[in-house]
Amino acid sequence: MATEIPFMPTLREIQTAVLDALLRGTLEDAGPHIATTPVPAAWRLSIYRGNIVENFLRALASTYPVVRQLVGTDYFRQIAEDFHAQSPSRSGDLKASGRAFADYLGELHRDDRFSYLADIARLEWLIQESSLSADHPPLDLARLAVVDPSTYEALGFTLHPTLRLFASPFPALSIWQANMADAEPSVVIDLAAGADRVAILHHRGEFDFLRLNPGELAFLRSLGTGECFGAALTHAQAADEGFDASAVLRRLVSAAAIVDCSVPNR
Amino acid sequence: MSPSTPSAGIGLRAQHHATVVHANPEVAWFEVHSENYFADGGAPIESLEKIRGRYPLSLHGVGLSLGSTDPLNLEHLTSLQRLASRIEPAIISEHLAWSSVGGRFANDLLPLPYTEEAVQHVSARINHVQDVLGRELLIENVSSYLEFTDSTLKEWEFVAAVAEESGCGILLDLNNVFVSACNHGFCWREYLAAIPPARVREFHLAGHQCIERAGARLLIDTHDRPVSDAVWDIYRAALRRFGDVPTLIEWDADLPAFAVLQAEARTADGHRNTVHADAA
Repeated sequence: MATEIPFMPTLREIQTAVLDALLRGTLEDAGPHIATTPVPAAWRLSIYRGNIVENFLRALASTYPVVRQLVGTDYFRQIAEDFHAQSPSRSGDLKASGRAFADYLGELHRDDRFSYLADIARLEWLIQESSLSADHPPLDLARLAVVDPSTYEALGFTLHPTLRLFASPFPALSIWQANMADAEPSVVIDLAAGADRVAILHHRGEFDFLRLNPGELAFLRSLGTGECFGAALTHAQAADEGFDASAVLRRLVSAAAIVDCSVPNR
Repeated sequence: MSPSTPSAGIGLRAQHHATVVHANPEVAWFEVHSENYFADGGAPIESLEKIRGRYPLSLHGVGLSLGSTDPLNLEHLTSLQRLASRIEPAIISEHLAWSSVGGRFANDLLPLPYTEEAVQHVSARINHVQDVLGRELLIENVSSYLEFTDSTLKEWEFVAAVAEESGCGILLDLNNVFVSACNHGFCWREYLAAIPPARVREFHLAGHQCIERAGARLLIDTHDRPVSDAVWDIYRAALRRFGDVPTLIEWDADLPAFAVLQAEARTADGHRNTVHADAA
């Protein structure tokens, strides 16, 4: 009688089959790998499947409390489950699992009355990023006072590590603020109220939302990419002809949006 | 952890940060989930920096996916290394499990098939982590709801083999031993007897639930209630076999008032004292 050589799957084959089954919620190719007595394999897998989905949903709800508040818990659960099916977590740190949620909402509600939701999600993602970034002491103005005026153009500015820039054609920050747990219940936001442009900052457990005009936004965006003061000024003036550089610098330094400056080596 | 003060510690969750920071409760030590503090700033890490000055700390990871056949996630490991430099924990531990493959994460602790291939694979990964951290890693046995038909070793043989091969320490979760023993029909005494005492550095204790369906039942490692009597029995047996190593009370879901966790820790200390007195 011929001896049958047992098929020995590799660890990677087993893991791939099991994770496929867990993420899809069907037994599929995992079946042969899982002992079935006294408890059926499908039930065993469903315990893990339940944990996976619940952990993901909890993390998403923690990052996006206002999106959840706006759409209601039932619809949030439905879109979160669909989002998970399409974009499972790519990190061992669940805080990162909602990174693509705003884009997903944008596709889902591209042209309907919920098209603002993606921007609320984008704002909430930036708020989470800001809240987990390091604090930094403000800029010592004495450092600016000693700069040779002939080098102003080439000056570099460092933005606060918690600073995140956000812009939306909707009044997204006002919507977010009106839907926080401690907000006044009666505030009504007009979706047509116009654009929000904001610098988000986080100091000692508190958020600062610095509303920006188009010139200030362009100025900070340019500095944020590492461009020097001269280049940032050009961008700012293109967005706002009346851009007043010295007034804006004073405002941004006093709000600790700008925390350091550096003269380039010659 | 000072070897002379292994009183039971408590798994610290964010809801209790304020209590600990402001009230300085009497607790021997705390353990936290490493990933919750993977950040350059913000409230969680700032609280932990205050707490670390007053209590010994242990960093307990849930996301490194040690058993995965994907390349080791160096970004995750770097975050852990940075956190360890900042917090200077007494212990660093992770799970003998996998949670990802092909870049997709379950973010849950999945058991490995207990094979020689898996022993070699996970041991090499633990060695890598120990080299990067420059210190011993403890690995925790997980509770499991499934067994692989591919396994050629018993779970306890697997745990002992990995510790032997990698030189890591063992964080023996006694609730997990009990949950898996009930779910897979083995004897917890046989499990404890196979674990080398010289490797065991920490015990975990937690509560579990039993669910039944169509005449079959599974124990679920819920961490949402007090330690069961059956697990206290195992704890006393473990204290006799492995000695008085640091013990941790874990509670994650339906988190009670902090005083309830302190009472659980005192119950553990009561068992420690009884076993000590018997041995003396």
